[in-house]
Parts: sequence; C-alpha cells; structure tokens
Amino acid sequence: MRSGFVELEEKLRILSDAAKYDVACTSSGVDRAGKKGSIGNSMAAGICHSFASDGRCISLLKILLTNHCIYDCKYCLNRRSNDVKRAAFTPDEVCTLTIEFYRRNHIEGLFLSSGVFRSPTYTMEQIYEVVWKLRRVHRFRGYVHVKAIPGADDAVLDEVGLLADRMSVNLELPTADSLRTLAPHKNRDSILKPMSRIRNQIAASRQSMGQTARLERAWGVKGMSNGLFTEDEYQRRLEGEDGFRLEGGGGVFIPGGSGSGIAGGSPVSEPGIGMPEPEPWGAGSRGGTGVLRPPERGLDIRTFAPAGQSTQMIVGATPESDYHMMMVTQALYRQYDLKRVFFSAYIGLNEDAALPAPGSPPPLLREHRLYQADWLLRFYGFRAEELLSEERPNFNVLLDPKCEWAVRHLEYFPVEVMSADYEMLLRVPGIGAKSARRIYNARRFGSLDFPDLKRMGVVLKRAHYFITLGGKQMFPVRLEENRITAGLIDDNRKKNWELSHGECYRQLNLFDDMKLQEAPGAEDFQKAAAGQL
Amino acid sequence: MRIFLCEDSLEGIFTGIYDAWAQDPGHGHVRLSLKDQYEPELFAEYEEIEPDDGKSEKVARSIQRKISGEAFRVVCRAAFSARPERADAIYRFLIEGFRYGGRVLRLLQEPAVAEVFALSRKVANEAHQYLEFIRFEQLANGVLFASISPKSRVIMLVAPHFADRFPDENWVIYDDVREEAAIHGAGEDWITAKIPKDQADAFLEAYGSSDHYEDLWKTFFHSIGIRERENPNCQRNFLPVWYRKHMTEFL
Repeated sequence: MRSGFVELEEKLRILSDAAKYDVACTSSGVDRAGKKGSIGNSMAAGICHSFASDGRCISLLKILLTNHCIYDCKYCLNRRSNDVKRAAFTPDEVCTLTIEFYRRNHIEGLFLSSGVFRSPTYTMEQIYEVVWKLRRVHRFRGYVHVKAIPGADDAVLDEVGLLADRMSVNLELPTADSLRTLAPHKNRDSILKPMSRIRNQIAASRQSMGQTARLERAWGVKGMSNGLFTEDEYQRRLEGEDGFRLEGGGGVFIPGGSGSGIAGGSPVSEPGIGMPEPEPWGAGSRGGTGVLRPPERGLDIRTFAPAGQSTQMIVGATPESDYHMMMVTQALYRQYDLKRVFFSAYIGLNEDAALPAPGSPPPLLREHRLYQADWLLRFYGFRAEELLSEERPNFNVLLDPKCEWAVRHLEYFPVEVMSADYEMLLRVPGIGAKSARRIYNARRFGSLDFPDLKRMGVVLKRAHYFITLGGKQMFPVRLEENRITAGLIDDNRKKNWELSHGECYRQLNLFDDMKLQEAPGAEDFQKAAAGQL
Repeated sequence: MRIFLCEDSLEGIFTGIYDAWAQDPGHGHVRLSLKDQYEPELFAEYEEIEPDDGKSEKVARSIQRKISGEAFRVVCRAAFSARPERADAIYRFLIEGFRYGGRVLRLLQEPAVAEVFALSRKVANEAHQYLEFIRFEQLANGVLFASISPKSRVIMLVAPHFADRFPDENWVIYDDVREEAAIHGAGEDWITAKIPKDQADAFLEAYGSSDHYEDLWKTFFHSIGIRERENPNCQRNFLPVWYRKHMTEFL
C-alpha cells in the first residue's frame, strides 16, 4: 500500500510539474446542483481552492495523463527531443486522485490534458476513458475541463464533449507563421478544425435544449452598441436565406455590428491576422452524432460542453504585437464564440535559436495588459481596434488600457454620472461593471454625491478626472491629456494636486535627471506615457 | 436615549427590534446593542431583552412580506457579522426598508442601507472564501472533519453548499471560535450543534489518522507553482495568511 503511494506521488509530481504551464485553471460557467447517490456540484462563479506560490489560482487538479509526446514543439518542456522524466497515469489513478482530493475540498474538479502518445486519437480515447469513469463509475458531478487534442477523430471528441464541462484547444501562437516555426508538427488548420467542431456542437446542443446558440455573456454585454456579443450580429448571420435554422451554411459569418458605436470604432474584418472563417454554424451536427441522446437511467440530459470552450496563446515567444494578439482574440470570440482566451507569458525553458534565450524574464506586465484588454472586450463593450492600431501596436507600460483609451478620447468626457447611459459609465476609468450597475440602480431614486460613489466601489482616484456629479467635478481639474496622464501615472495625491494647480513639473531627482539638459516638460510626460520615450 | 440590549443571535436581534419598535419612543431615541459587546454610557436607560421566538418570527415574516426575500437574506448575513454595531445597523436598515419596500436594496445612497450592505457583503465574501479554503481531513471512521476559525459566523452559510456537494458523506465543519459545528450524516439533512472545544479535541484524538492523500496534495501544491513567476504578495492578496491556519498545504 505504502509503496503504491510513493510511486503515485512521483507520478503526480512529474505530471503536475509538466502541466503547470497551462493557464486555464478556472472552474466557472456551469451551475449544477448535487444529487443523492452522486458526489459533487458546480457553481457558475467558479471556486478557487488555493493559490500557489506564483499567486495563480488552483481550482482544478491540473495534470497531464502522460508527458510522453510524439511532437517536438520548440517552446514545450515535454517535446520529444528533451530529456525529461516521463510518466503516465492509468485512468483509474486519475479518477481516484480526483475523487479523493475533491472529498477533502482541495479541488473543484479535474483539468486533464496530455502529451500526444502514439496518436492524437489514441490519446483522446485514453482521456475519454478517464472522463467516462469519473462520470459513470464514480458518479462525479463536479467540474471537468478537457483539452481536445488537435488531429483526434471527431467521434471521440463528440463523446468527450458530452461528459466534460469545458473543452479547450490551445491555439499556442497567434499566427500561422509562428506556429510553423515553433511547432513544426502542428498547423493552423488542424487546430482550428476541432475548435469549430466544438463550437458547432455546443450551438446545436444548446438549441436543442431551447437555449440560444451563443453562450451566455456578462450582464448587459449583449445589448451594447459596439460590443462583440451583440445579438444583431448573430441574428443577421442566422436569418440568412434558409431562415432560422442552424443547418446549412448561409454564407460567411458577417463581422461587424451597427457601426454606430460610441467610439466610432467602425467594425472591420480583422485584417491580416490569417484567421480563416470557421465552418458554418451547425455544420458538424448533422447525421445524428448524438448531441441529443435520450437520457439514460439516473443521468441528466446535458448539453455539449456547457461551460463553453477556451484557448490559450503564448505571449512573448514570437514577435507578434499586442495589436495582433488582441485582433486574434477578438476574432476568436466573434467567430468561434469562445468563453475565454487565456494568455501565458513565455518562460524560457528550452534552448533554441527561434526562441528567446532561456532564463530571460517572462513578460508578466505584457500578459497583465493583455488580460486587462481581454476584460474590456468581454465586460465593457470595447473592441480591439479602439484600444490599439497598426500605428500604436503595443500597450502602454505605465497606463492600463482603459485609462489610456480615456485620455486619448477626452471628447467623450466628462461624463455626468447621474444621466450617462450604462455603456458610457462602463467606459470611465475607475468604474467597473459592479459599481456601474449599483450607480444605475441607485440614481433612479435620488441624487448621489462623491462619498456615495466611493461606497459603491468607484475608484475615485482614477474616476474623478472623467466624471461630473450634478454638473460639478470633484476637484477643479482641467481636461487636458498631459495633466490627466501625469495624474494617473502618479497616484501620489500631493503630486496630483500640484499637477492640477500649476504647471507640469517634477520633483528634483538625483539620479534620473543627471544627463538631462533641461527639465522635462509636458510633452515629455505625454511621450513617456505613449511609450515613445 | 434608551438602549435595548439583545442577545447575540438572529432571534435575539429580531426580538430587540420588535420591542424597540413596539415601545416607540421615536427611532431617534432608541438604540440596539449586544449584551456582550457594548460600552456602558452614563445618560442612557438600559433594557435587557430576552429572545422570544414569537416576536422574532413576526419580524422575520414582515421583512419577507413587506420588503423582500433578498432583503431578509441580506439582514441575516449582516446579523452573522462580528461587528458590534450590527444590531443597530439592522434596525436602521429596517426603518428605511419598511418605508421604501423592495427597492430599498438599491438605495445605496441611504447611509443605513449602505451600512447593512457593507456588513452583508463582508460576511458573504468571507463565507465564499471558506467554501474555497475549508479543508476536510478524513478520520479513521470515515468522517470528513474540518476546523475553521472564521471572523463572522459563516457556518450557516457554508453548510448548505457542502450538504449539496457531499450528500452521501458524513462530515463535520467545526467553528472553533464559536465552538459550534455543522454536522451532516450521509443521506440526511445537516444540523448545527454547540460542541465545546475539549469534546471536539477528544473526538479528533479518538479517530485521527494520517492520510496519504494529504501528502499527495502537498506534493501537487508545491509542484504546480512556477518558480520563475514567484509572487508571494499576489498569493497573500488572494489567500490571506489568517486563513492558512487550518489549510493542509500550509501545515
């Protein structure tokens, strides 16, 4: 007994260590009550159970089934040509670990990925065995996230999707070129094919259950004039020649909404990102692949991957700009209806001419900015074109994307909090989705003042430059790009006061200014914020 | 000023509210305090209130009927808080609640509403974190046992979640600050019971055992962190140190 545990511990160490670079450790998106005779339930908000030493959440038992791999992707630690310890779990071991950890409230479920062993289809079958045993033998109702292995047979993929909560295919690199350089055994089409298959299966099975084909999104997002998830975009696509049917491709998925959006960010088709149109909606669901199978005894009917699908991209291994990453992200949300796109800062592990040198620090700030922008797309009704452009392809180091957008678009400000619409409230830096909703609810019954806003969760430190309340600003700040930028960059209150009450100047600093002939002026601040200095 | 001293429980607070309202010297001249958490004042009359099921029932029913079910849940959560001002805050909130009805929860510009909203949010957040951070250990008799030391009285809020999650397990969640436990038998409903600390210790002593899965969990916990991204500040923000007292991976 004891020796079995030692062996299991060693396997767990190897295979969790190999899986740790995968980022999507979330357990959100599906609500499922528990049931007598089974174990587990699931909460749509997701539950993190612990936080590792890197501050990332541990929600699921994130492991590889095996780290044997027939591929030789350059960025990957488990590539064929690396000399690392290899191990493989049996399906029963994975089930036991999941159930036993789950009972002790260590985890929310299982996140199963795998190296490609023998062939993609064989690997996917192994994964299927694990998930089947978990659901049917152990009667597990917790969360299961499964990686779809590109190249695996569609039939296996469909079966896994009916048991798992979320599926994901890793895009890894945003362009086909980078993929060719770093992952010679993969190609763009083989990755996008399962993605579009999963999308279609999700849509078909959701519709057969009387839900909308597209996934649920955050409150209010589907009604935003400029957002990615507006209903009319999707409606236009559906009401093609053959009316309200999913089957039959009514042409391409028309990108772009009304175009009368707040920021006039005219909807464009993503230029030059090489993202082909997916198969038309529902194309994979014909021929009775079993998206609506009759419920077996004692089992619920469930939709295909009810928590949607996700993907991840590596940041910093290849020369793509933030603009490029965001346009790809946007295309994935629009065309593939992904629930999430994850970013993973590249950590130099392998030595290769095509890669950054090993030991170079991971681009954590860049990853952070991309996530911030991703939130703006999913919750705030922004589009990627509004945040970045070909001319300014990268995010600011000093300012977050929302602040940066605001200081560049002062024509929309100041916003009158008592009367502005919800969409405009969301665009004010310092007002988030929750506080915007609280303001929206409270202002109907009476006037607000600045302390009220603070109590509702507004970060006045950032918001006060951009809002008026009953026609008055909190402090008399002139709406000038350089002053606001300087104020936002330096949150120091005294400095903010000085900036709003006099000329733009800085405290003397012994080290920074040694080589400068003259004191930095207003333009220098602006340049520094714009990343030109 | 009349100060009503009520017992620290939902019934106690509701009875206090009933009596304060019934005596009606005007809301401005009444205050509610808790028996074991108050500072005596010189120019005040004190009245001790004994909890009364009938009265607290009436208050609970009026909140649900005249305000809303959500308001009742907010009030309950606020009552589970550990702040000494909670009884009075609930009283002030109900004054506004009976005036405005169901929409009162949106009126965050009213100080009384904002106060109860903040109390309730704090308790709800702590309860959610306990859903995350409770760690069961498996005892020799198969019982899953978890100890917690929460600031608020979260046991009533977390137990339903685990009852739903583990319907066929025997489990105990023990709040060692309030010496109170939620106990669930396989296939049955959960109950709460007062259990003194020494009894709980004796129970653990009798059935405690070493558990290999805890070692496996520690292995997993340590190998899943990426060394190149180490960030203890971020870890502490999400998982404050005071929660770690009972967590397997930090023991």
